[in-house]
Amino acid sequence: MNRSMPWLLLLWGFISTGPLAYAAVELGATRQEADATVGCLFPMSGRGGLYGRDSAVGVELALEHLEQAGLKNTPRLRVLFADSKSKASRAVRQVRDFVHNEQARFICGVVNSAIALQVTQVAQDLEVFFIGTDHASSSLTGESLNEFYFRTNNDSAQSMRAGARYIREHLYPDKKGEPLRIAFIGPDYDYGYQTWKDLRSSLAREGVRYKVIKTLWPKLYEPDYTTFIRSLMSQQVDLVVNSLWGGDMVAFVQQAVRTDFFQHSRFANFDTGANYEVLSALGSELPQGLILSARHHVNWPDTKLNKWFVYRFHALTGRYPSYAAEGAYSGILAIAEALRQTGSDASNSEIRKALLGLKLHLPEDPEGFDSYMNPQDHQLQQVIAIGETLRDLRYPPAQMMLGKWQVYTPQALDTPSNLPTP
Amino acid sequence: MKLVIAMLMDGVIYASWLFVIAAGLTLIYGVMKILNMAHGSFYAIGAYSGASLVGIYLAGGNPVWGSYLVLLGAALVIGALVGLMAERGLLRFMYGRDEVVMILVTYGLLLILEDVIKLIWGVEAYSTYQPYTLLGRSKIAGLSFANYDFVLIGVSLLVGFLLWWGLNRTRSGKLLQVVIHDRNTASTQGINVTRMFTVTFVIGAVLGALAGALTAPGISVMPGLGVEVIVLAFAVVVIGGLGSVGGALVGALIVGLARAAAVHIYPDAELFVIYGVMALVLAFRPQGLFAIASARKI
Repeated sequence: MNRSMPWLLLLWGFISTGPLAYAAVELGATRQEADATVGCLFPMSGRGGLYGRDSAVGVELALEHLEQAGLKNTPRLRVLFADSKSKASRAVRQVRDFVHNEQARFICGVVNSAIALQVTQVAQDLEVFFIGTDHASSSLTGESLNEFYFRTNNDSAQSMRAGARYIREHLYPDKKGEPLRIAFIGPDYDYGYQTWKDLRSSLAREGVRYKVIKTLWPKLYEPDYTTFIRSLMSQQVDLVVNSLWGGDMVAFVQQAVRTDFFQHSRFANFDTGANYEVLSALGSELPQGLILSARHHVNWPDTKLNKWFVYRFHALTGRYPSYAAEGAYSGILAIAEALRQTGSDASNSEIRKALLGLKLHLPEDPEGFDSYMNPQDHQLQQVIAIGETLRDLRYPPAQMMLGKWQVYTPQALDTPSNLPTP
Repeated sequence: MKLVIAMLMDGVIYASWLFVIAAGLTLIYGVMKILNMAHGSFYAIGAYSGASLVGIYLAGGNPVWGSYLVLLGAALVIGALVGLMAERGLLRFMYGRDEVVMILVTYGLLLILEDVIKLIWGVEAYSTYQPYTLLGRSKIAGLSFANYDFVLIGVSLLVGFLLWWGLNRTRSGKLLQVVIHDRNTASTQGINVTRMFTVTFVIGAVLGALAGALTAPGISVMPGLGVEVIVLAFAVVVIGGLGSVGGALVGALIVGLARAAAVHIYPDAELFVIYGVMALVLAFRPQGLFAIASARKI
């Protein structure tokens, strides 16, 4: 025991200190020259590590963009990153560290909606702004909304509203008045439940008559979907709506593709399914004809800004960005724009007013559209593009990308569908 | 009818690999009185080794049927190696300590191995589907099942039979039963208890790794797998009775069928039902359904 224990302790120390390298990431201005400090919380290691690493590059691109734009009164931002390790307790502690030790006025990031719910509480208590860039549960902009929270990525309500419109326009009329037979599978936590709630309310709003055949709630990071897939296939279903994300979406598709699942019914994931992370991980395994969307697409819109964002990201990293990168990019631009309008010494109420009236042109905005903040729910309003998987080798290692786009602006989704009721 | 068949089949398939893991866990406890928390890591290491070695093997353009041998070889070699290192490098120094201390030690080992897995294989998921799809699919009552899963059931039955035969019909097994009954008496009778412990631990580790390697083609091999599995394996051995291989079989069937029934009928209760059954057994039969009767010294 005495001889082996020091070696074990050494091994443990080596293992446990490895991820700390990310805790020290700092971008932008130095502490002395910065007009404001932003503390970003992302998983930088472990299973969600790609989201954090992509977000850091997104922030780098945002700072580069701000410098190149050279607008008058643009604040010099100091952006700090901490590895939340996808743990709520750690994230909450890091918010306090950012505020008390680094004088951060803004917190940004957070991938997991359940963690974001805790971060939004502590940010409110400390009276610092929390700019959500990568979680999507609409409860944060609904029942849990507070005056310090704003979000710059699509939320589940927007995605599901667009999804319901897509169903109404492309899947529902085939049923000739029969209710659409829907099954839902989503992760067993706030985001999954909220997505399902949003989809149901959006379908009701669109006047779609539907019958719920099954709802399944596999736990986050479920390795084996066999039983869930068989359960979905054991009954006649017209459409399976899936709200799994990241590695879970990849695992589900990999396991489903070995069965007749995708011949059994149509399959849709309206919020995260076409994240580049998923497309690249699945490669040629991803079947054609799946109805997917994501909060940012590398191949849509075909604008100068989106091309710059995607290819600049690729030049820096050698890979294409997941939507986390554009979310973080948007968050930093939002903070910079608010401070540019108000000045870095502005009070919280002045900054809040600027954020409430925020308008930004982002990589995911098509020509002629700017993302804008909804002052009622503090959610940035953006265009949702839903597509079908098609073979496309332009963005390797992905071999299937989205095409056959259906594009929904916030204004279009706010007005009822003009299709006749079947 | 379709629903019942789906539940039964899913339950039995789930139980089959769960039994192989739980058999290793319960064997180690039965002989060594160590509730080995690191057993989940043996499963994960088996899964990662199997998935990555099959990937390398297939990338060389080799025939897919050979991947079954790769999976088996990975489980046997890696499982034995890791088991031997854990027992000789750590646990042998702790023999004679309280069972709670052993739980803490093996829990520490679990945490270390979880990070070692991330260091070796990274955090991306591994998928090695070729051995799973090679055998094709069969239809039962209109439901499609992978033939690989039937093989898995067969392997678990074979493992169960070999364990029973080894423990009850061989000289080594009978010596092992003496150790289980009273290790001090066994030692005075000239039985090399230390060697028995090492062999038992290695067999247990190989069973854990075997379950991991065999399930790898059907699942997504990802970090955290070991932690997920050890909780399930504990539920199985608690239900079946610590130290009982037969109990592990029944426990695995109960857990597998309960989970499958929950997913098909009331998905919200998927996790609850496993621990609900465990709580029920603990309430009415705390020693488990098939606990080995132990002599009490007075």
